[in-house]
Amino acid sequence: MKKILVTLLLLSLTFGAVFAQGVGEASADTYPSGPVSVIVPYAAGGGTDLIARALVDAAKGNFPKNITVENRTGGGGAVGMSYGANAKPDGSVITMITVELVTLPHTGTGAGLYYDQFEPIMMLNSAYSAITVKADSPYNTLNEFLDAAKTKNMRVGNSGVGAIWHLAAAGLAKTAGVNFNHIPFDGAAPAITSLLGGHIDAITVSYAEVDSQVRAGNLKVLAVLAPERISATPDIPTAKELGYDVAIGTWRGFGVPKNTPKAIVDKIYSFFSVAAQSPGFIQYMANTNNIIDVLDGAEYGKKLAVDNAMFKALIDELGLKQQ
Amino acid sequence: MLVEVLSSVFNLQIVFFIIVGVFTGICIGALPGLTATMGVALVLPLTFGMDAIPGILLLIGVYVGAIYGGSISAILLRTPGTPAAAATILDGYEFSKRGESGRALGISTVSSFVGGVVSVIALWLISPQLAKLALRFSAPEFFLLAIFGLSIIASISGNSLSKGVLCGALGITLSFIGIDSITGYPRFVFNNINLLSGMSFIPVMIGLFAMSQAFTTIETIFTPDQVTQKISKVWPSKSDWKVIMRQGPISGVIGTIIGIIPGAGAEIGAFVSYGQAKKTSRHPELFGTGIPEGIAAPEAGNNGVTGGALIPMLTMGVPGDAVAAILIGALTVQGLQPGPLLFTEHTTLVYSIFLGMFIANVTMLVLGLSSLKLFVKVLSVPKGILTPMIFILCVVGSYAINTNFFDVGVMLFFGIVGYFMQKADVSVSPAVLGLILGPMAESNFRRALLMSEGSYSIFFSSPIAWIFLLLTIVTLVGPTIGEMARKKRQS
Repeated sequence: MKKILVTLLLLSLTFGAVFAQGVGEASADTYPSGPVSVIVPYAAGGGTDLIARALVDAAKGNFPKNITVENRTGGGGAVGMSYGANAKPDGSVITMITVELVTLPHTGTGAGLYYDQFEPIMMLNSAYSAITVKADSPYNTLNEFLDAAKTKNMRVGNSGVGAIWHLAAAGLAKTAGVNFNHIPFDGAAPAITSLLGGHIDAITVSYAEVDSQVRAGNLKVLAVLAPERISATPDIPTAKELGYDVAIGTWRGFGVPKNTPKAIVDKIYSFFSVAAQSPGFIQYMANTNNIIDVLDGAEYGKKLAVDNAMFKALIDELGLKQQ
Repeated sequence: MLVEVLSSVFNLQIVFFIIVGVFTGICIGALPGLTATMGVALVLPLTFGMDAIPGILLLIGVYVGAIYGGSISAILLRTPGTPAAAATILDGYEFSKRGESGRALGISTVSSFVGGVVSVIALWLISPQLAKLALRFSAPEFFLLAIFGLSIIASISGNSLSKGVLCGALGITLSFIGIDSITGYPRFVFNNINLLSGMSFIPVMIGLFAMSQAFTTIETIFTPDQVTQKISKVWPSKSDWKVIMRQGPISGVIGTIIGIIPGAGAEIGAFVSYGQAKKTSRHPELFGTGIPEGIAAPEAGNNGVTGGALIPMLTMGVPGDAVAAILIGALTVQGLQPGPLLFTEHTTLVYSIFLGMFIANVTMLVLGLSSLKLFVKVLSVPKGILTPMIFILCVVGSYAINTNFFDVGVMLFFGIVGYFMQKADVSVSPAVLGLILGPMAESNFRRALLMSEGSYSIFFSSPIAWIFLLLTIVTLVGPTIGEMARKKRQS
C-alpha cells in the first residue's frame, strides 16, 4: 500500500514538472497557449479593477484558454505590482500598472519595486489633475488663485499624503513659486466633501471625480494640469496655456516582466489595443467618466521614464521620502 | 425617482436576495457563536461580483435577520445567539421554563419587527437631513464625534472599566499600524509589505468575534444543546399585542439613537431598552420572571439599532457599529463612497437601501411567524459538524476580502487573542470601537491642526463641535455624578 502511494506521489511530481515545463516554453507563435491572469493591484470593484475587467472582457476572445483578473491588494499597490514584476516572463501574468509604480519607490514604500522591472505593453487611460474651487469662490481663474496664494496660505485638499493629487498640488505650487497648506484626506470623496462644505480652499483631484458637482453648479474648475485640453471639457484651460508649465496626472496601463520575448509583448499589445477600441469598452469608459488614452509600448516606456524622474524630484523636494 | 426606486427594489432578483439574506441571517443569529458581525463579514465576499443594490441589500438582510435570530437560542437554550440577544435571556428563558416558548418567540418576532420598522422610518426621515448637515462637519467635528464615540467605552465595559479602557487602547494601538495618513510615514510595519496599508479590519473582526467563539465551542463540543420545548401558539395574544405596541416603538427609538452613536451596537441597544422598560414600569419587580415587556423591550431595542447604525454610515461615512463598518467596506468595493455625496449622486441607491431594509423587516416577520420550527432545527446541528464549518468559513472569509494569505494569519492571531480575552472576561467590543474610531480621531485631530496651522481654537469654533464636547463630558462624568447623588439620598 505504502509503495503504491510513493509511486503515485513520484508520478504526480514528474507529471507536474513536465507540465510546468510545457507552460514555460510557450512561444510567441502559440501564445496564449495557457490561461493568462491579469493582476490588478487594487481591490475588486474599485475604479482600476473595473477598467481592467472591462478591457479583459473585450479582449477575452483572443485568449482561448481563459483570461482572468486577479486582485492582489496591499501596500498602496506595491504588493500586486511586485508580484507581477516577479512573475515568469512568458506573458502568462500581465500586470495592470498605475502611476504609483513611479511614485512609491521614491517615497520609500515601494518594497523594492522599480519601473524598469516591467516591459511596458500599452497605456490605456489617463486622468489629469483639475484645480477646483467652490462655485462661490472669489477666484475665477488660475492666475487669480495663484496670485492670492502669494499672500494667503491656501488650504489645498488631496486624496492622501504622497498620493498623485498631493504631488499634483505640490508640482503646481513649485512651478508657480508659491506654498500651499496641503491637507490630506482618505481618498478623493472626503476631500470633495470638505471643499463643498467650505472647509478648504481648493482640491487637485481628477476632473472625472468632480464632474458631477461641477455640472450641479456647486464647484468650478479653474484649470487642468494636462498637456492639452481634455476633449470632454474643451472650455477649461490647461495650466500650460496660462503660463504654468506643469502636467501631472494618473494613468493606467499594462506591463509584463522584463525579458518577456518581444513577440509576446507585441501580441498582447495587438489584442489589447483592439479591445480598447471595441464599442463595449468605449461605452463603459464614457459612462464612468474615464478617458481612453492609448500609448504603445515604446511611447509608454518613455513616459514612464519621464514621469519617474519628475516624481523623484518632486518627492525629494517635498521631503516625503521615508527612512 | 420614486418609480426608479420602486422598480430597482421590486424585481424578483432583489427581493430574492433580501429573502435569502434574512433567512441566512436568522440561521446565523440563532446559532450560538455566529454573530451578526460575523455573518455579514462572511457573506461580504459573495457581493463583490454583484451589483451595488442587490449586494448591499443581501448584507442588510443578513444583518436584520441575525439580530433577530439571536433571540431564538436566547429563549430556547438560555444562550444568546448573538451578544445582542443577551438581555432577552432574562425574561425569555422564563417563558420556556413554563412551556410557553412559542409565545415568547412570537413576542420576540413581532417586537423585532416593530423596532426594525421604527428604525427604518428614522433612517428615511433623518438621513437626508443629516446628509445636508454633514457638509458642515469638518476635521475638528469628526475628531470630537470620534472622541464622543470612544467615551462610550466607559459604559460598555461591563464589569470592569479598567479592562474596557485597556481593551479600547489595544484597539487604538492596532490602528497605528501602517502608513500614517498625514505624513506618509510607515509605522510599526517592521519592513513587512503586508502591514503597509494597516491591519485589515475585517480579518481582525472575524478573528475576534467568530474564530475565538469557535475555539471556545471546542471545549464543550461533545455536550449537545437539546431543544426539548414544543413550539406552538406563536401568534401573540391580544394582551401580548398591547404590550408590544406600547413598548416596541419606545424601545425602537432608543435603539435607533444608540445605533446612531458611532461604535455603539445592538447589544447596548438591547440592554439600554431593557433598563428603560424596567425603570419606567409600574411593576419593575416582575422583570426577570418572564413577562412580555422583558422580551419586547430588548428585541425592539436591538433591531432598532440596525437602521440607526446606517444613519451616520450613509450620511458621513462614520460607522454606527461594527456591522456598519463592514457595510462601508462593501460600498467602497462597489466604487461608492459613503458620505453626503452619496445622497446627491446616488439618490436611487440610497432610497433603494431604505425600501429594501423595510422589506427585509417584513420578510423577517413573515419568516419568523411561519418557519420558526425550521430555524429551531438549525439549533440541533451537532457542534462537531458546525464548529469545523465555522473554522472553514473564517479562513475563506478572511482570505476572500483581499485575496491575501497574510490576512488569514491575522485572523488566526486575533482568534487566539479573542479566545484569551473571553477567558479573562474582557469584552472585545471596546477593542473594535478603538480600531474603528481610533484612526478617525487621530487623522482628523491632525488634519484639523493642519487646517488651523497649529491653533487649537479650531476645536471650539463651531456649535457642532461644542455639542460633541458637551455630550462627551456628560457621558464621562454623568454616571459618577448620578452615583454620588444616589448615595447622598440614601445617607
